[in-house]
Amino acid sequence: MATLNEAIASLDRLPALPSTSVRLVAMLAGGAANVSLRDVEQIVRQDESIAASVLKLANSAAYGVPGRSFSIGDAVRRLGTRTLAKIALETQVSGQLASAGVSYGLRRGALSESALGGAIAAETLARRNHVNPELAFVAALLRDIGKLAIDALAGPDALEAIAAQADARPFLAYEREAFGADHAELGALLCERWGMPFEIVRAVRGHHEPPSDPADPVTDVVHAADSVARWAGLGLGCDGLLYPFHADARERLGTTRDELEALVADVHSALAPAATGLPNLRNAA
Amino acid sequence: MSRFQLPGSPSPLPSVVAKDEPPRSLGLDRNQRDRIVVGVADLAVSKDSNKSIVTYALGSCIGVTVYDPVSKVGGMLHFMLPESTVSPEKAAANPAMFGDLGIPMLFQKVIEAGARRERLVVCAAGGAEVLADDGHFRIGHRNRTILRKIFWKQNLLLAADDTGGQHSRTMSLKLTDGSIQIRAQGKDSSLWPR
Repeated sequence: MATLNEAIASLDRLPALPSTSVRLVAMLAGGAANVSLRDVEQIVRQDESIAASVLKLANSAAYGVPGRSFSIGDAVRRLGTRTLAKIALETQVSGQLASAGVSYGLRRGALSESALGGAIAAETLARRNHVNPELAFVAALLRDIGKLAIDALAGPDALEAIAAQADARPFLAYEREAFGADHAELGALLCERWGMPFEIVRAVRGHHEPPSDPADPVTDVVHAADSVARWAGLGLGCDGLLYPFHADARERLGTTRDELEALVADVHSALAPAATGLPNLRNAA
Repeated sequence: MSRFQLPGSPSPLPSVVAKDEPPRSLGLDRNQRDRIVVGVADLAVSKDSNKSIVTYALGSCIGVTVYDPVSKVGGMLHFMLPESTVSPEKAAANPAMFGDLGIPMLFQKVIEAGARRERLVVCAAGGAEVLADDGHFRIGHRNRTILRKIFWKQNLLLAADDTGGQHSRTMSLKLTDGSIQIRAQGKDSSLWPR
């Protein structure tokens, strides 16, 4: 049984997100107008793994011309600023999350997949609800980053033992009992430390318990996107489906069952290897 | 009985001698060789009795297994959503995503591989529900309903099932003997034989 202070102290032991990621988040969250192609290109050139992802995507069937391959400079111009910033951030966050979630019993890569699946869902839902799609994408991508902190706090099999005893209560309640804080709160604290914009921190904090008074549309979108990812079978560890989908958030979004089911299908297809060209996705178990 | 599009009478399979494996613990060994992994919205059929078919992380999705104990042909489907009408385009690209198309397809494929419909042992697991969903989405429930509806129409019986709740399940079918194991909430159990 850990206290909140111990939980917060554990955040110090986690590797920081690269400073380029923080800059990318700030660019995307601030609206597309703030993103300069030159800035993003610089970030891409600094990081080999990002450069590889960008080249792969630019040369993939979705963007490329058969028989032609592009240099980094071509690729950057071809994909456009926003796509590029998203790929760069996704690559860095998925690097961070690749081995995360072990305490939840997740295999390597599962949390990165779930982060991206949720981000794709959030982007679509945001467009339908007149919410900044980049902001929703980034917030959903980072929503489970607090699971890194839970990994650091939980001993081997600790969460599995909790899950084995769990009745139908939200899993966050069990996390709070065991560690003094849940993964949403710890994720928000991490994002704060990394200098993420307030809108991101708020959505990460509320992604399982979206506030009603006042409601925040970005948080509502990320909340719904989290369930969509779960229905697509992403990121399911020993915590399973022990997360509510709040009816009031659903009503504020005005989303129908058919829409969300179609989105589940879209998210699954978007993560298929041929569609993304991105690394770290759909690794074999 | 057979309202599925059944292929012509299946040719008898060459008899495959099952390896005399040492007894294994019920734990699903992730390093186990001869294992076919079925992904989400995926389907696999095999007549190699040395193999196991496994699927991980069944949440609201449902895993369906079919097994013919005589020919030792078996298959597994991991479907995600009940009805293909929500996304005809995705359904055309991948019918295994949806129960209404995936289940008949699973039967068709095992029969093509040499299983006999009347001998099939059919089991299912998954169909869990998001917590405190106020009855609006209930995808797990709707997945369970489509399964029952199809089986009822086709006059098929589920030999065993482990569905509902809020937890994620791993399901594995051993083609040597048709035994099915479920891992959920850190525990292993045998779904078939009971």
